[in-house]
Amino acid sequence: MSNKLSFRDVFVRGAVIFNPVLVQLAGLCPVVAASTSLKSAAMLSAVAFAELIAVCVIASAFLKKVPRWVRMPLYLIIGLVLICPVLWYIETKTLINLSLSMKIYIPLIAINSVVAVHCEQFAVKNSVKLAFYDAAAVGIGASAVFVAVGVLRELLGSATIGGMPVNIPVTFKGMLMPFGCLVILGFAAALLKSFVSKKYPEYIENGVLVAKKEEPSEPVITQESVEAEEQTDETSSEPINEDVQGGIKIGTQEEIDEFLKSLGIDTQETGDEQ
Amino acid sequence: MKALSDKETKNKTVRPLRLYGDYLVMLAAPFILALSGYGARPLAVISVAILCAVLSDMLFCVILKRKFLLRDLSNICIGAAIALMLPAGVPLYVPAVASVFAVITAKVPFGGSMRTPFVPAAAGFAFVSVCFKEQVFDFSYNSAQKMLGERSLGALLMQGNAVRLNAINVFDIISGNVAGPMGAGCGLLMAACLVFLLFRRREALLAPLSFIAVCALYAAILPRVNASVFTSIFMELSSGSLLFAAAFLLSDNAAQPERAITKILNGAVCGLFCMTMRAVGTYEETVCFAVLLANAFSPIIDSAVKKLPSKKKGAEK
Repeated sequence: MSNKLSFRDVFVRGAVIFNPVLVQLAGLCPVVAASTSLKSAAMLSAVAFAELIAVCVIASAFLKKVPRWVRMPLYLIIGLVLICPVLWYIETKTLINLSLSMKIYIPLIAINSVVAVHCEQFAVKNSVKLAFYDAAAVGIGASAVFVAVGVLRELLGSATIGGMPVNIPVTFKGMLMPFGCLVILGFAAALLKSFVSKKYPEYIENGVLVAKKEEPSEPVITQESVEAEEQTDETSSEPINEDVQGGIKIGTQEEIDEFLKSLGIDTQETGDEQ
Repeated sequence: MKALSDKETKNKTVRPLRLYGDYLVMLAAPFILALSGYGARPLAVISVAILCAVLSDMLFCVILKRKFLLRDLSNICIGAAIALMLPAGVPLYVPAVASVFAVITAKVPFGGSMRTPFVPAAAGFAFVSVCFKEQVFDFSYNSAQKMLGERSLGALLMQGNAVRLNAINVFDIISGNVAGPMGAGCGLLMAACLVFLLFRRREALLAPLSFIAVCALYAAILPRVNASVFTSIFMELSSGSLLFAAAFLLSDNAAQPERAITKILNGAVCGLFCMTMRAVGTYEETVCFAVLLANAFSPIIDSAVKKLPSKKKGAEK
């Protein structure tokens, strides 16, 4: 991948079009289990964001030459090495009271699939700067989903936002359960796909989100190539049976001339000029 | 009247109007029974449920720029089925929420009632069972004249006490004179609905019958009450919305697999889930969860069955 990618390109791809939670369905476990309120969702987001940036930058800076089979466990070990002391510090040295689900799912954030996927697919193949951009974009995308889901679940399930009561007539206990989160994520994914298909239609192929394809370069037909083809045709008695790009099969000299004419090249004129 | 085959309905050669018209005819009977048992209250519950189902479908058709068909009776069937599985005294927001949830999560996203892999009414009822458990399983409304007062058969089975039935009790139970869902309590009526289905869509009966058979077998082998085998089977089949679900939810054409053998397996799996959840779960009524689970397993069972003949062919070669 070239280093000419701007932050905007990386951000749009990482945070919106290929959102790690809504499109790649990575890191679903912590979202479903722990993002039941704004507070827990914000904490998860902060941890995921910081950890993703740190591991991606380290991977891009130091792990490019390490074999792949070693790299994969290294991402997870680095993540745990970064997260566990922070968790220990919060538990023992601060007054922040983490809930049981947070104690379980914050360490799980360290080894979630978002980190492994983005380190392996992007960070180790690009510069540190681009790896940082990508990690930040993916972190922002994931955090936005965490927080939005947390707010919705807290509002619908407990009639509060950030612990403050909100007057709504009915609360849905089911929204605090995992299936409530999956329903919200399903609708959010549908909304995102609808947005992407309108704003970035080049990423949608037959209704499915795909990586943007680079336009195949057209075969360049130069004077030399035409001459070479002519020489080949003269020297060999066998008809040419090569497939050219575009699926047209070329056989005899007449067919070659016809094909070149269809491309706007007149071989007779070229010969006269010579 | 000519009976519909499932291939016809799958291929949409038969209009949904006829399919859901049949369901409406079937739903009319328990509705009338509910009216006679609980007065005008069921009318309010069913009206709210149907209205919310129709309005939410209409709203989503506007948002998604789809054509809303007034002739689409599926919304009415969804609303009515949900309402009839609820108690008569349920607060009106419960059927409203159930209908809206059924339409917006189980019907609209999949392209309509003829394509949905999940039974929308089951989804709606399951959602309100989780969110409003106390209201959904409160059968105290107008229950003074009932056989067990405000206690339902499901609650009795959950306690696991010794039970002995006599002829009067048996008649009370099969005629729906027990506290429970307002339209699903009468076993005789549900049997009549299954007979109606036999004349209209014979193949749709495969899943319900295998479901009932597995439930009966489970009740015979692992009874929840200290009673005879017959009593255990009779009470399990008569409690909650089990027979109602067999007649109205498991016969749903869109959510059912194509092959006959797969339908039978699907019904059996549903029965197994239902009875297991009744035995170990905390909910009095689990049939809707079981139906949804069976819907989820349906493609897996279908593909597994499709692979079987090819293996045989391979072995012959």
